[in-house]
This record gives sequence, structure tokens and C-alpha cells, in this order.
Amino acid sequence: MNRIEKKLKELEEKKQKAFITYMTAGLPSIKGTEEIIRAQAEAGTDIIELGVPFSDPVADGPVIQAASFKSIQLGTNLEKVFGIVEDVRKDCQIPIVFMMYYNTILYYGVERFVDRCIASGVDGLIIPDLPFEEQGEINGYLLKKNAPILIQLVAPVSKQRIPMLLEKARGFVYCVSTMGVTGQSTGFHKDIRKYLSEVKAASSIPVMMGFGISSAKDVEGVKDIIDGAIVGSAFINLMEKNDYNVDVIKEYCSTFKKELNA
Amino acid sequence: MNKKYYGQFGGQYVSETLMNTLDELDVEFEKAIADPEFRAEYDYYMKDYVGRETPLYLAERLTEKYGTKIYLKREDLNHTGAHKINNVIGQILLARRMGKKKVIAETGAGQHGVATATGAALFGMECTVYMGAEDIERQALNVFRMKMLGAEVVSVTSGSNTLKDATNEAIRAWAKSAEDTFYIIGSAVGPYPYPKMVKEFQRIISRETKKQFLEKEGRLPETVIACVGGGSNSIGMFAEFIDEKDVELIGVEAAGHGIETGKHASAMSLGKPGALHGMRSYLLQDSDGNVQLAHSISAGLDYPGVGPEHAFLRDSGRVEYVSITDEEAMDALMELCRMEGIIPAIESAHALAYAFKKAKTMNMNQAMVVCLSGRGDKDVHTVAEYFKNKPM
Repeated sequence: MNRIEKKLKELEEKKQKAFITYMTAGLPSIKGTEEIIRAQAEAGTDIIELGVPFSDPVADGPVIQAASFKSIQLGTNLEKVFGIVEDVRKDCQIPIVFMMYYNTILYYGVERFVDRCIASGVDGLIIPDLPFEEQGEINGYLLKKNAPILIQLVAPVSKQRIPMLLEKARGFVYCVSTMGVTGQSTGFHKDIRKYLSEVKAASSIPVMMGFGISSAKDVEGVKDIIDGAIVGSAFINLMEKNDYNVDVIKEYCSTFKKELNA
Repeated sequence: MNKKYYGQFGGQYVSETLMNTLDELDVEFEKAIADPEFRAEYDYYMKDYVGRETPLYLAERLTEKYGTKIYLKREDLNHTGAHKINNVIGQILLARRMGKKKVIAETGAGQHGVATATGAALFGMECTVYMGAEDIERQALNVFRMKMLGAEVVSVTSGSNTLKDATNEAIRAWAKSAEDTFYIIGSAVGPYPYPKMVKEFQRIISRETKKQFLEKEGRLPETVIACVGGGSNSIGMFAEFIDEKDVELIGVEAAGHGIETGKHASAMSLGKPGALHGMRSYLLQDSDGNVQLAHSISAGLDYPGVGPEHAFLRDSGRVEYVSITDEEAMDALMELCRMEGIIPAIESAHALAYAFKKAKTMNMNQAMVVCLSGRGDKDVHTVAEYFKNKPM
């Protein structure tokens, strides 16, 4: 069973909400990323989104843009990120989702990319510039055994598209909380509860919310609807501010997870 | 056949947030161009506001020097000084029809930004233009013009600080505000239906050229040449000639310091197919699949990708794409100044430079048309800088 689906099934049985983080791979270093993944697994993070840095991250705000740029400067590339997953998989089975842009996959070769995901133990993919209509090419290869799940994103304006997006969705649904890019602190979309309720009602798999979340109290008002929260820019800011100190990271993750389920 | 694709190029590589917006845009655009009232409105502004039709001018002294008839399609004589206004008027009329009150745009050389600011002033809309910090510096005149016209110019400082990054930022801003904002893309790039919209609104260049040439020469030209950054003036210049198989079509990309130096903007000579700015097309990339910085002395050609229909026309062999260095373009620019009394944009000078090479293989019974996409006033600082240490 796919690690994401297995984890979500466990959480459902325990009636827990999922805590998901995003981090840009390669920061503060390749080794550092591996340590932080392991530390998060211990601290109670349920799923990790690992950002594969790209030169033109159009779905991301300033924080993740800066992190991507820095990581590329340090020499991080897709091959090295696969290396991170391979190393972590020796002793850690936390579900790992790649968050990346489609050009990185095209350049690597779509089939070669999927094969490498299978070999290294990548469980899911989030590709923000690959909308439903353009997924046919990669879907052909995702039918392979142990291939990663392509996570479907839903936006506040998706409306009549929701049934189509959810029909074959696996793992979890990623609900974007606001219009625009990651890391905005301008508040969620004005119709957030209505929108999340619509998705939740239509979905047979867990519904997670991401974009613009920094602490468990940010999602207090929608906690009754969603099955989990995703934290990206705020998590990167925290790590940067604390020099990637593993104890601080563990404390943040365990606190968030606890408060989310309080 | 998927209408969103040109062969393997094109498509809609954008976030889910924008998919409904693109669908709506596609439907409204098709309705508009099929509506005689919309077409009449567009034609009205083209004539009475933009000043069309633009002349097709036989460059007499160049013709004499090179021994073949060289015609210039004078897009530089449009209001605001370049072809960009053709497309802006089309898109802004569509925006108005769709009830949008705000427009945003990206700009490289600033011509599209100026055209958008102009259109926004004309129709009383709020306008924000995203421009790379480096381009803001080298196109100071156009930045000032945009501000005079009431637009807000946002300086983009990420990546290469040029058109690519301005486009990234415009896409981000669009994703935030798509509910009430219309994104006016200036080049023949972006997610479908943008490449088609830009082509349809620039098609007027070749529609006029064909008619004017027929009147003057009673036939079609042997060769049509236009410069290619993202490819808006060239797709407009080629549109009506694509099905005329006897007309040779040539697109001229920027070779910067030379293709072999790696400092160039020629996506179709060395680029590989990739996905950027909502489309699949040829793209300059490094060995990790990151987008490589383009280089050209011309801000308008300084772009690492190219419109998807150009990528298709290249692969199908219908259009030949070549490249011209900074130096060749600057020499051609000066030659047009000195021989015809016309100061062209550096972008257009790339097309001219290749035209002069090509002309040497042609004779007096033959003719070519070069798209003079814009005027060079905006470039005088760049020209002055370039000729600081060499004879002008």
C-alpha cells in the first residue's frame, strides 16, 4: 500500500487530523534536509512535502521563491533530491510528496522520472502548473506498480470543476485556501467555509488545506471541515530564523500536531 | 486534434486557480471575434485611435544598395510607437466586454507596458505593469511614459530581473486577482487562448501588408521577415502568408553575443522543448532543467522561450528561424537611420540585419517585406552606451 494512503488510514482510525509540512530540498544542505525529515518523523509530522527547487516557481510567494533560489545556488538538482529520499528510506518510512514544477519532469524525461520515484520511494507528486487537463501524459506512467500518487489541487474558484478533479483522485485532496501563491498572510478566501464544505461533501478521500497557514489556530475556524493542514512558507521562515535547529523544528511540529488535534 | 495545441506545443500549464478563468476567456474571445460589432469596434480604434493602416514603404536607397526590392511595414508609425497597441486594443476591448475593471501586463522593452497603460487610460481602467528591474533601467523613457499615462509600474527583482521574471510576477498577481482582473499578455506566449488571441489581434499587420503589396506589385512578395522574441509581431506578420506556400517566411531571433557564447536569446536554435509561462515550447534550459537566462541587447527579445505556434512552424519547416547578434543588429539600426531617415527599435533592427544578408541572394525582380515592428526612441540610451567606445 502507498505510504500516504496507509498513513491516512491510520489517522482515520485514530480520528486524528493530519499535519503536513513543506520544505525546500537541499536546505540547509542535502544532509541537513535528511536530518530534518527524520526529526519530523519523530516529532509527529504525518506527511512531508519536499520541494524540488526550480528557477521559475510561479505558484510560490517570496519565501519559497527565495528558498528555491538559494537551494539551486547550493547545487541542488532533481538527482540529488532523489538521493535524499533514498537515504531517508533506509530507516524512515514517513510519506514523502514531491512538490515541483512540470518542466523539471519534462527535462528529466517523464517515464524516467516516474521510474526513479518508484525506485527511490517517493509516494506522491504535487505539480502546481500541471492542471487536470494536462495530466494525461504523466498519468500513463503513474499506472506502474508503486508509482507515486498525483495529488489533485482544488482552488476556491474551481466550483463546477470539483467533481471532475475528484473523480479519480487518490491520497488526499489539496485545497488551496486562497487565490494566488503560497505564503500570503492576507487571510483565507472570503467563501472559505462554503468552498471547503463543497469539496468535503464531494470527496471520498481526506481533504487537506494549505496556503497561508502558520499555526494551528489559523485553521481553528475550519477545523470541523478539513482532515488536515499543510504548512509551507511559515515553516521555512521558522527554520531560517532558527538556523535549521532540529530541536526547534521538532518542537514546532509536535506542538502543531497536538494543537490541531486538541 | 486538441485546439489548445500547436503540434506538441502550447497547452495550459497553469495552476488550477486559473483554469476557470482561461475557459471563460476562451469562450468570450471566440464569441467576440465572431461578433461583427466587436470587429467593427476594433477596426474603429485601429483606424481613428491607432492611426492604421500603416504604410508599406519601399526603402529606395536600401533597394538600390542591395539590388532587391526592400519594403518596410511601418508598425513604428502606430500610436505609442510599435505593433503592441494592436493587440492591447483587442484584449482591452475584450476585457471591457467581460466587465473587468482592472488590467495587468508584463513588459520587456516597455512597448507593451506603454500600450497597455495607453489602452487603460483610454477606457478608464486601473493598470499595473510588471517590469524587470534591469529593463526599468535600460528603458527609462518607457517607464516614465507608463507613469504619465497613470499606470503603476512594479519593479521585479527576481531571477534575471528581465521579461521572464516580470512574466512570472504578472502570473502570480493574476492568480491572486483573476476574479476581477484581466491579464493582457503582450507576446504570442502564455496558456491557450493567449497565443491565439495575440495572433488574431496582430493579424492586421499581414492583412494590410498583403493588400498593399498586391496594389503596388500585383503579386505576393518572395520573402517576409520579422524579429522573434516571444513572437507577437512575427506571428501577426506571418498569419496571412502561412497558407501562401510560395512566400518564404523568416523569423529572426536574437543571438546576443553569439550563439556559441551561450549569451543569447535564441530559444529555437539551441533550446529544448519545456514548459514555462503556461505553455510548452522551445525553452533555453541548463543541465538541471532550470530556465537559463537569455541575453540580448534588445529588451524586447530578451526572453528564454518563444510562442508555441512559432515552435510548431519551426518543426514543420514552414518558417525558417535564424539569429542575429547584438553587433549585427546595431549596424543595421545605424544603416536604416543613415540611409532612410528612420530610427528603428533594436528589436526590429534584428529583422533588418537579416534582411540585408538575405537581400544579397535576391535580385531586382524580387521583393521582400520586413516588419519594422517599432521605433527606436526608447533605445537611444542603449545606442549611446553601445557606441561610446566605437565609431557610430
